[in-house]
Amino acid sequence: MTALAILLTTQLTHLAPIDVLILALYFVVVLFIGFYVKGSTRTSEEFFLAGREMTAWIAGLSFVSANLGSLELMGWAGAAYQYGMLATHWYWIGAIPAMLFLGIVMMPFYYISKTHSVPGYLQLRFGEGARGVSAVSFAFMTILMSGVNMYSMALVMKVVLGWNISFSIWIGAVTVAIYVMLGGLRSAIINEVLQFVLIWAGAALIPILGLWEAGGWTKLKAQIAVNVGSNDYTHLWTTLGSFKDNPMGVHWTGIVFGLGFVISFGYWTTDFLVVQRVLSANNLRAAKMAPVIGAAFKMAVPFIVIVPGLLALAVLRDPHTHQIIRLVGENQVDAAHPYSYNEVLPLMLIRYCGPGLLGLGITALIAGFMSGMAGNVSAFSTVWTYDLYGAFFNKKASDKHYVSMGRWSTVVGMIASIGTAYLVMHAASIMDYVQALFSFFIAPLFGTVILGMLWKRATKSGGFWGLLAGTVSSIAMWLYTTYGGQQALAHIALSLDAKPMAENLYRAFWSWLICVVVTVSVSLVTRPVPEAQLAGLVYGATTIPDDGASSLWQKPIFWAAIVITIFFLLNIIFF
Amino acid sequence: MAEGTGRGESLSIWFFVGGLTLLYGIILLPYGAYEWFSGHESSTVLSNLHPTFWWGLLLTLFGGFYTIRFRPEKG
Repeated sequence: MTALAILLTTQLTHLAPIDVLILALYFVVVLFIGFYVKGSTRTSEEFFLAGREMTAWIAGLSFVSANLGSLELMGWAGAAYQYGMLATHWYWIGAIPAMLFLGIVMMPFYYISKTHSVPGYLQLRFGEGARGVSAVSFAFMTILMSGVNMYSMALVMKVVLGWNISFSIWIGAVTVAIYVMLGGLRSAIINEVLQFVLIWAGAALIPILGLWEAGGWTKLKAQIAVNVGSNDYTHLWTTLGSFKDNPMGVHWTGIVFGLGFVISFGYWTTDFLVVQRVLSANNLRAAKMAPVIGAAFKMAVPFIVIVPGLLALAVLRDPHTHQIIRLVGENQVDAAHPYSYNEVLPLMLIRYCGPGLLGLGITALIAGFMSGMAGNVSAFSTVWTYDLYGAFFNKKASDKHYVSMGRWSTVVGMIASIGTAYLVMHAASIMDYVQALFSFFIAPLFGTVILGMLWKRATKSGGFWGLLAGTVSSIAMWLYTTYGGQQALAHIALSLDAKPMAENLYRAFWSWLICVVVTVSVSLVTRPVPEAQLAGLVYGATTIPDDGASSLWQKPIFWAAIVITIFFLLNIIFF
Repeated sequence: MAEGTGRGESLSIWFFVGGLTLLYGIILLPYGAYEWFSGHESSTVLSNLHPTFWWGLLLTLFGGFYTIRFRPEKG
């Protein structure tokens, strides 16, 4: 609480009138968009799936933007300061292969099954049980994550600008609720594309000016090595041979199999928040291209998130004493160390951006916050309306009724998120639990979905019990490592030198493996699903329609090959 | 049909992107010029490079291009 008290009494800067003008213009435009598209969101297909008329570029940018929330921006900039370049793995190996896999392999099944949601696909493939488990956990988690996101942003606004926390929470929440309620997914997507551009417009100056000040990348690396006394902060792979050789306490097997395979594929291919954006594409080729375009832009995000964190290690100095400022964890903040890792991005923003540019940078942070929140609330409203209300409470209502339910559930979802934000404000440790909760579901869900899509023999019982076993085992492992100390951690992460970050990676891998083993075992002893029922849902039982690409330039696989080549090159360059 | 905003609408999603960045450029460019030529630079690091002016110019060009390229068609 001492740390929090210090945070709440410190204000880094204030806005000039020109900054307020820039911020006000942003709010006016996002609200205008909500009112403007309201007339085009009369049917449920229009409200929940934006009429399935988005181009690949729009769906692709929205796909990346919905994930680029404030936690993502500030949290990973802080992680880059704390762990160095290793944080980049969450943007590259932890995203790119999975996004390409979604576009090239999985999207055809999501798209041609005409499902409205990921739980909807599970219902078609594994029945109501799997859909119910998945929909309830997703709806619950989405609201909690939205609330955590909301509180994090409000806290940053308090620290940076001295804004009242309640004011920040309510102004952001009400704005997002209005434009999503009016325009549904269409409004959310348009704003997400706009927000993506604004995030770059507001944040790109930090790495540009920072690299200028540092004298370029090579000098930056040298300065970091001097300041922290180690070369470990500027390499992606060379320090991952052993748990104790890197600041994160992880091993390359955890990064490749836990993060790169299970967590990444789980999030990017089964989390409905991001998949919903791609389902809005106007044809199969656009649906396949959207994640490829998203992947290309995702690869560039470390420039505005990771580089500022690294720059702070080299150039962030006290303006009076000229001493390097040492950032610390949230619970270590005191008079000598007034700033935490999570404030690294605002600190760098203030370092380089005067009036006008500061307003643009703050707008970028708020845009990130709002795009993340709109993503959560629009996905929640769809899953609630289609997969819970429409599936279990009122199956035969009119289309107009479901649209109305979608609008009202947006408001209710937002109010529940605000409640969560206040809950977190009074018990900050809830934030850690919420993030742990999220990890319980995502890894096993990937096991269920991937077997459902690629293996005809997977049965309904197999899918249900596999999902349940994976989730329960993940919770059990988390409890074991939380209360079992270093010895328990060593059992899960396979080394006494492992740190908590490694636990997350290995737990995901084990829970996925348990899900797969149980799904396969139960499926083999239960009656197979007749092949006729699997058409359009499973590889081998489905004729994938031609996506209409007539030249090499139009083929999603061609662009995916280019993106994966750049991905490998980047990993080699920063090895 | 305007891209992204729905059947029958005239303003494309890219018009909004261009319009807002153009507005920001129009605000930042003269402010940056005022700071530069009147000597009222802010006290931020590297303010001698006049980032507000140059960033404002970039946003004006980017926003201007998108606004014109995706302006609503007559009728």
